[in-house]
Amino acid sequence: MDDNLEQSIKRVMSDILNIPEEMITEDTASDNTEGWDSANHIQLVIALEEEFSISFDVKEFEALLSFADIYEMVQSKI
Amino acid sequence: MRDSPMLNDDAMREGQLREAFATHVQSGNRDLAIQSARLLLKDFASAKTYRFIGKIARGDGALNLGLRPFRIALLSSFSIEFIQDALFAQGVANGLRVEFYQTGFNAFRQEILDSSSGLYQNPFDLAILAVEGDDWLPEAYSRYSLATVNHAILKENFKSEIAAMLGRFRANSRSPILIHDLAQPDHYLLGIADRSNEKGQGCLVGEVNDILHEVCRQFSDAYVLGYDALVSRIGRERWYDQRMKHYAKFPLSQDAVGALAREFMRYCRALLGLSRKCLVLDLDNTLWGGVVGEDGLEGIQLGPTYPGSAFVEFQQNILGLHSRGVILAVASKNNPQDVDEVFAQQSSMVLQRADFSAFEVRWNAKGESLKRIANQLNIGLEHIVFVDDNPAECEHVRMLLPMVTVIQLPSKPEQYSKALFDDGWFDTLSVSAEDIRRSALYGQRAQAEALRETSTDLEGFYRDLEMTVTFSPVNEKNLSRAAQLTQKTNQFNVTTHRHTEGDIAGRMHDPAWTLAAVSVKDRFGDNGIIGLIMACLVDKELAIETFLLSCRVIGRTVETAMLAYLCEAASSRGASSLLGKITPTQKNAPARDLYQRHGFNKESVDEAGTSVWRLDCEYSKIEIPKWFKFFND
Repeated sequence: MDDNLEQSIKRVMSDILNIPEEMITEDTASDNTEGWDSANHIQLVIALEEEFSISFDVKEFEALLSFADIYEMVQSKI
Repeated sequence: MRDSPMLNDDAMREGQLREAFATHVQSGNRDLAIQSARLLLKDFASAKTYRFIGKIARGDGALNLGLRPFRIALLSSFSIEFIQDALFAQGVANGLRVEFYQTGFNAFRQEILDSSSGLYQNPFDLAILAVEGDDWLPEAYSRYSLATVNHAILKENFKSEIAAMLGRFRANSRSPILIHDLAQPDHYLLGIADRSNEKGQGCLVGEVNDILHEVCRQFSDAYVLGYDALVSRIGRERWYDQRMKHYAKFPLSQDAVGALAREFMRYCRALLGLSRKCLVLDLDNTLWGGVVGEDGLEGIQLGPTYPGSAFVEFQQNILGLHSRGVILAVASKNNPQDVDEVFAQQSSMVLQRADFSAFEVRWNAKGESLKRIANQLNIGLEHIVFVDDNPAECEHVRMLLPMVTVIQLPSKPEQYSKALFDDGWFDTLSVSAEDIRRSALYGQRAQAEALRETSTDLEGFYRDLEMTVTFSPVNEKNLSRAAQLTQKTNQFNVTTHRHTEGDIAGRMHDPAWTLAAVSVKDRFGDNGIIGLIMACLVDKELAIETFLLSCRVIGRTVETAMLAYLCEAASSRGASSLLGKITPTQKNAPARDLYQRHGFNKESVDEAGTSVWRLDCEYSKIEIPKWFKFFND
């Protein structure tokens, strides 16, 4: 795993979901994280696009459901 | 690339601004905090920045900041809550702590029409009704069906609906309401044929917007936000995000979010009396290209070709602001006479001296000039927008006077107008005849006060100039200059007789004529020959045929010295009176009270307006003012 990328993604997730960076693991997902609701999910997508200057399709929005998903998706785009 | 030097500079600057904002909030420095927020949003607007400002401004440290609470009720046909972060951050940048009452998705009709709705139970300062055109009138925005649309009925229904909603709203709330107008459809059903067809969608939307305006006018404090114009300005393609529209029921892009939040602020400022009132301008590389003190009158750029044409346009836009009531002032580090010369002689100048209610052209710090201007005009510094091209000057003002709104001009003059207009600092909700009159009043009042204040300082001012005035006979060496002066001088010229070198040469050796070329040196340098006297002795009268002064030396009593010289000349030739004429022209206003000011008696006025004046030299001899050193060559 690219440490930098990992840190950056965790930072964004921490900012949006309001959880400490240290608490974010590979398994952190929308179905097991309080505060990761649909509204925050949209904010997360926007924040990721902004942070990494990338663009997701609508299908991809729906697939960004865990840290692992996000890491894989972002890495494929940068 | 992530590591390019330019990106790193930006990142560093963003980091500095963030740190500054956090520090100022912590220290309770309200104006500096607001300023930092504004700078952050200007150059680094992003969802991340909105969240950052939001977190800090909502934190414990922000309680002492004195942000003004402002409650906004958001009503919409889409998920407008996604604009809250941007709107809160923009609020902070305007000294506001925005609180939201967010109505349910697409529940705007119910919330407004139901008197017992949550909307009316929660007091708010402003309601915003943001409904997309195709949510108001789906039939008008139909993607496939034009035939079933009866425009007259559609418009009637819309009118009734808006009137009913506003009526119910007004019955239940005194707060102002801001309603988006309808944006043009993305694509016209009829394609390029739409606009030429009166059944087209383009026409219909325009007519519906007219109805919206008409109905809003019937209710107090109901305002229309020019949404279609805003969308056009940013660009329809940039405005909408089709993915978000489908996924989140939020059709706006991040660019749109930023622009819309800024636009909302224009209305909030106007509602709260936070509109700016005065525009203070630098001169060099602001109103014209170049530096007049270095490049000279001929060297500055202002005229029909680039970059002069961009500066002309900028001046026109400034004049436009002035015409709707914005007060103009100048704060420039320059020699006053250099500046006067531009205003008097640069024919491409759009702005005139008289457009400015305060004119601080001096070498002291700009912060000082701004304070003087605020004082003189009796307005608060927080009502001033300061515009300058020089980053150092801007920074100086930002630090010294953080309540002043500083606009640092971009590097290219064709971008100046956008920098000035983008935020709509001077917007008011309506422009009254009073606003338009007020600006003129400020100018007159300021001039009267200035005269009162400085009348005791005038003498000191003249002394400070350390002027030497020299009167020389007109001869072959200065003949050309003398003739040129008669041809070019328009303002301080009592008779505006134009002469050739030949005319004047003829008089040079004629004993009846008294000719004098007037030169003035002062502390700043030698102005050379800047005045001309030509007077003819007839019997016991010395009749002044030409009496002129270059605009460079107007307002320094040089004309008094010249009249004193004429008095001497008169008595040495046995003349007992001086006779002068004033022929009014479009340009010689500064000269028209010359003789009156110096104790001449008006003898007659003809139909053309030419007046004749007489001075008895023995009784009313004019003395040369004591602050001059003078020489007779």
